[in-house]
Amino acid sequence: MTQPDQDTAPRLIIVVARSGGLAGLTREWRAEADPEREPRWRELVESCPWDATPPPARGADRFHWRIEVRADAATLHEARLGDTQVSGPWRTLVDEVRSAAA
Amino acid sequence: MAAGIVPPFLLDRIASTDDPRLARAAAAARKTLAMPRPPRPARTRLRLSIDEGALVAEAVPAPDRIISDAQNAELLPGRRVRSEDEPATGDAAVDEAYDGLGATYDFFWDAFARDGIDGAGGSLLATVHFGDDYDNAFWNGERMVFGDGDGEVFVGFTRSLSVIAHELAHGVTEAAGGLEYQGQSGALNESLSDVFGVLAEQHHLGQRADEATWLVGAGIFADAVEGVALRSVSDPGTAYDDDVLGRDPQPGHMRDYVNTQDDNGGVHINSGIPNRAFFLVASALGGFAWERAGLIWYRTLTSGTLSVTADFSAFATATRAAAAAEYGEESEEVAAVRAAWAGVGVEEDDAA
Repeated sequence: MTQPDQDTAPRLIIVVARSGGLAGLTREWRAEADPEREPRWRELVESCPWDATPPPARGADRFHWRIEVRADAATLHEARLGDTQVSGPWRTLVDEVRSAAA
Repeated sequence: MAAGIVPPFLLDRIASTDDPRLARAAAAARKTLAMPRPPRPARTRLRLSIDEGALVAEAVPAPDRIISDAQNAELLPGRRVRSEDEPATGDAAVDEAYDGLGATYDFFWDAFARDGIDGAGGSLLATVHFGDDYDNAFWNGERMVFGDGDGEVFVGFTRSLSVIAHELAHGVTEAAGGLEYQGQSGALNESLSDVFGVLAEQHHLGQRADEATWLVGAGIFADAVEGVALRSVSDPGTAYDDDVLGRDPQPGHMRDYVNTQDDNGGVHINSGIPNRAFFLVASALGGFAWERAGLIWYRTLTSGTLSVTADFSAFATATRAAAAAEYGEESEEVAAVRAAWAGVGVEEDDAA
């Protein structure tokens, strides 16, 4: 597969939204991949199991996560996860987006 | 008697069904009920009080609290740091959780004669110092879990008795049969935790309905946050209005119901509507809110007939039935319940 031309390819945008929790507050973090970091962001995104169906979470007041990857107006990936599912590659992606947005 | 994973009342219901489709389940439930249970020593304590000048001594059940410390990792249960009857540790979160669970246990016993989360004296399990700057407290299906907060918005979730009681009440709701954590049934699940959360605090402080703040989570915001609490049961939508957090989004009437996919369909948002209904009942009846309004809500939850997918209207009908069973169809309690649900737009008030 050929890599997109970095000068003309649409910029990758990753949005992480956390809702729920005891407080019921929604917080959102957004990272926009600059050309230099684009390969790293694509690697992080592609390492996540976007098609896997998370098992239903037990309990109450847990955080809920929505993770969306966009290029221009097109949505490339979207996942809704419970707090316990945000581990492994999901956790790495979420942490890097939050860090980039800080 | 040790508690199994399936609550005894549910086993009783399954065992007694005559639905031929459930014949196998009914037989299994009867077999389970017939099994001898391993004995568990019941914890009791002596309580002294004065009633009309006479000293009264009574043996009442006692909680069995176990507090663990996650040591800022997101791993459960963590290291056990304080068990029942052990002295204070000096760690504020550990001791606040221990005391808060005790106060909540006392509330459920004094108000409804309920012996803990499972109603059978099971251990009350909690973990504190969960995660790093973790901005949440939750019930994971087995234990109550408390983060320390990030210090900028939240300063620790064990500081508020209503928060501790809110989490314990999620366990009670689950043990009573549960309410699916989505949409209106999820908002009812949340509302019950808010209601029992504020009632536990009012019981602890000896406050009547007109003396209480009706706030959930007072004291857990950092000083810089413009807000008094997470939620207001009496006046939904007024708990905070802050540059960072935005404005408290809770509605107090069906006309303002929020449709959203976030937060399991807005379970922490639309809970404002049944919260307000409870406050209206408690205000109309006056006195200690747990004595009549609280009892009606508790009977509704534990009747064994509430559907796990109940919506606001079904819950309103169930509270009316519970009030009628407890106080009579023509009672002021039934009238107060009917007026309250009309007041929040869930039902029409036929009596009006």
